[in-house]
Amino acid sequence: MLSLILIVIASAFFTGIIIRTKSIASGRKGPGIFQPIRDVLRLFKKGVVYSETTSFVFQIAPTIYFSSIVMALLVVPFGRSKGIISFDGDFIFFAYVLALGKFFSIISAMDTGSSFEGMGASREALYSMFAEPAFFILMGSLALLTGFTSFQEMFAALHIGSYISYALAILGTFVLMMIAMVENSRMPIDDPKTHLELTMVHEVMILDNSGFDLGLILTAGYLKFAIYGALVVNLFIGMFPYHFSIPMFFIIQFVLATGVGLIESFMARFRMSHNAQFIFVLTSVSLLIFFGALLILGKFA
Amino acid sequence: MMESELLLNLSWIVTIAAILALSFVSFKLKSYVAILTVVIIATVTSIPALRALNGDIVGFLLQKNGYWGDIPVRIDGLSAWFILIVNFTSVTGVIYGVGYLKKYDNSSQKLTFHWILFLLFQLSMVWVCMLQHSLAFLVAWEVMSLSSMLLVIFDHDKPKTLKAGLNYLVQMHISVTFLTIGFIWVYLQTGSFSFEALPAFFGTTNTIWLFLIFFIGFGIKAGFVPLHSWLPHAHPAAPSHVSGVMSGVIVKLGIYGIFRIITFLRTDFLLLGEIVVTVSVLTGVYGILNAAIHRDFKQMLAYCTIENIGIIGIGIGLGMIGIANGSPVLYYLGFGGALLHVLNHSLFKSLLFYSAGSVYQQTHTRDMDQLGGLIKQMPKTALLFLAGAIAIGGLPPFNGFVSEFILYSGLLEGLKSNDLSQISLLVFTLAGLSIIGGISILTFTKTFGTIFLGNERSPLKHRPEEVSLNMLFPQYLIVAVMLSVAFFPQFYLNVIGSLLGNMGISQVFAGQAGLAGYSKSIAHINLYFLLFIVLIALSWYARALVLKGRPSEIQPTWGCAYVAPTPKLQYTGKSYSKSLGKMFGFLLTEEKKYKELKEGEIFPEKRTYASHYLDFFENRFLNYITHHLVYAVNYFKFIQNGRVQSYVLYGIVFMLAVFMLTVLNVLK
Repeated sequence: MLSLILIVIASAFFTGIIIRTKSIASGRKGPGIFQPIRDVLRLFKKGVVYSETTSFVFQIAPTIYFSSIVMALLVVPFGRSKGIISFDGDFIFFAYVLALGKFFSIISAMDTGSSFEGMGASREALYSMFAEPAFFILMGSLALLTGFTSFQEMFAALHIGSYISYALAILGTFVLMMIAMVENSRMPIDDPKTHLELTMVHEVMILDNSGFDLGLILTAGYLKFAIYGALVVNLFIGMFPYHFSIPMFFIIQFVLATGVGLIESFMARFRMSHNAQFIFVLTSVSLLIFFGALLILGKFA
Repeated sequence: MMESELLLNLSWIVTIAAILALSFVSFKLKSYVAILTVVIIATVTSIPALRALNGDIVGFLLQKNGYWGDIPVRIDGLSAWFILIVNFTSVTGVIYGVGYLKKYDNSSQKLTFHWILFLLFQLSMVWVCMLQHSLAFLVAWEVMSLSSMLLVIFDHDKPKTLKAGLNYLVQMHISVTFLTIGFIWVYLQTGSFSFEALPAFFGTTNTIWLFLIFFIGFGIKAGFVPLHSWLPHAHPAAPSHVSGVMSGVIVKLGIYGIFRIITFLRTDFLLLGEIVVTVSVLTGVYGILNAAIHRDFKQMLAYCTIENIGIIGIGIGLGMIGIANGSPVLYYLGFGGALLHVLNHSLFKSLLFYSAGSVYQQTHTRDMDQLGGLIKQMPKTALLFLAGAIAIGGLPPFNGFVSEFILYSGLLEGLKSNDLSQISLLVFTLAGLSIIGGISILTFTKTFGTIFLGNERSPLKHRPEEVSLNMLFPQYLIVAVMLSVAFFPQFYLNVIGSLLGNMGISQVFAGQAGLAGYSKSIAHINLYFLLFIVLIALSWYARALVLKGRPSEIQPTWGCAYVAPTPKLQYTGKSYSKSLGKMFGFLLTEEKKYKELKEGEIFPEKRTYASHYLDFFENRFLNYITHHLVYAVNYFKFIQNGRVQSYVLYGIVFMLAVFMLTVLNVLK
């Protein structure tokens, strides 16, 4: 329950902070950090335009996409407090529910019959496919290390360890943040601010969405960022008491958001053809975590 | 006990009666006779199977003191599970098939032959699961292969179909050769053709080779890489209800065979389990990679079957590792996940083949890049295909997720072992399974998106319409069963748990609480599914409330200010998976056919460009081997010279040889 509230709060300012950081880095004042939320509220008040090519898939997809994110959110724990849903192997459920959301967002893009949106859909499918093994190897290593298979138990047990486990946590942060970038179509993979449809990934997929549906998709995106942020936080807080861990949650989320903003300010997007290789590198970092876990457990004896 | 024997004997008597009836009734009645007979066979064989699942194992001897000696017929839990799957898929197949073949009403003989074969096909599949005598088993196996081969070449006037049929025939006989070698080896060691000789063999002889021979023999049927190359040819060539049944169950009988041999295995579980897992991961990844790039949607489904065989194989291997480790949890999760996935795959794969068949029937093309926007003309078929696509991707809230979740749990459970190589293998399997999931999303978004969404890509001769209820009904039935697996997994898991407990692999595992007892999470998955659906419904309702009274407009798709788009501009299935194909170019060989522009050709002629993907193993290995085989065999061509006189001579020589050898006491 706690994680749900915290993530919703964090999602309210996460994207705002990214935008603000980017503005400041480029010497502008920039909008307030709640501007993204205002944008969404404005969209919720608008009417909708549908493409004449689309079918009911296009209308229901944003709802399912949003629900899948919310469902995934329910699984995420916060330190000692479990997520609303917690069971053995819940991270598998987490990944597959998100995949269902992605499935619908992809087919909704293909429903418009636009070549640009089809292209975005194809890229999204390809990139998220490559991110999948990284996540599973990471989680598998944590399961190996801790002997548990649910998010909460794994994270709780992770804290009680040596310095190597903190090293692993840092590598894990890298992997999770990169997956978050892939999933949210942020900078090294995708440039949300590009003006050319040919160079977009996620943005081009939602070109035809408008009004309420677009608002849902944007909200889902904000939530998704905060969810991955929360997973990163969980790598560190372990069993800390709440008066310690809750401020830490916001600090880490803030640092991550600023970090994303800085990356976006000072880095260019990778070439599309290099993206897949880059994402595959994540898998090797995950493998590094796996070997680290083996080291800690002394399995190499 | 007597009653079961009676019922089972009834199954073949009914078949013979129906074959006679089919030859004589008017063709309007033929389809009804076929449906009725399939349902009767299904009923009479399912009753003993259901009994066996409840723990009442059926067993009797057929043809007592006959030429082959006693032929034991036995239905235990494992057989029963497969018999029920065979029966359900055959029933949906025949109902769908009647609708599918409506347009062939004018070719009565073809239909008669087709339905006769279909009955034989079902009967032999059911009996394959029951016969516990090597020779009888091989006969049933052979009837199954031959009848399915003849079913595949329904459109035998097309050379491609014939070629696919021949390919299938040859590969099935290579499979039979391996099985025969295996059984003869057992016979030579133990002097018995009964399956009871197998545990005796494994108990005394310490070898992994017999298992591997059987694994290859059954693996050809199941389609493990690199033994898979018949599938992508035979499935597209066959009529859709046949491909649905073939992909849904005939392939699974290979899995049945492997399971059956495992129940007899006594040693080397760890090594063999690791071999099976490795082969399965490769099978899964290879299958889905190929499925992702193909444009022919039935070929795509065939490759996807290979992928799912890989997933099932991972479960089998896990279960074997579980036996080796003495870990009942791993045993139940591995084998249980595999058996549940066998059921799940038979459901959604037949659903997908049926709905794809409906598309083919209406559009007469299997090339998805010719299609588009069919959701408007065929909304029900589109929804059914979508349900199958989500389920086969293992996405919640459908049944595919349940079995994949069990397998994932098994993999995580296996990580608790102390063996480094085993842990590494399982982590790679984890990654493999997740990448299979990822690519299958790519594959099915591509297929669904290209066939059903967007605009029509090229004009069709006939305007496609929604198919008849006759064809839709079996698909609804399948979806209903799929949902029952997703929302009442406990029931299925209890059945699987008790059947695994009684499988007699090792006494240590008997009487375990079973799968459901292991983890609350598996038993509660349906609640989370329900919550998810409620969540979707709530957001949908909220959306409806908010949008009430809001202006809503219909406008053309945003084309980046280009105002004259044509449907040809749409992203095609080919381009959708092009980048994946390029990335795995070392495995996915693309063959392009085009003529280069010649130097000085100022006024070029009209040109064509074609590209298609080749199967790596078939192209590089099998074709290489067969090419050299043909080269060697060419030298013996003189024997088959086409002169009847020589053939008669061969006969005389043969008879003389038999006579002389008998007289001289060489042959006894």
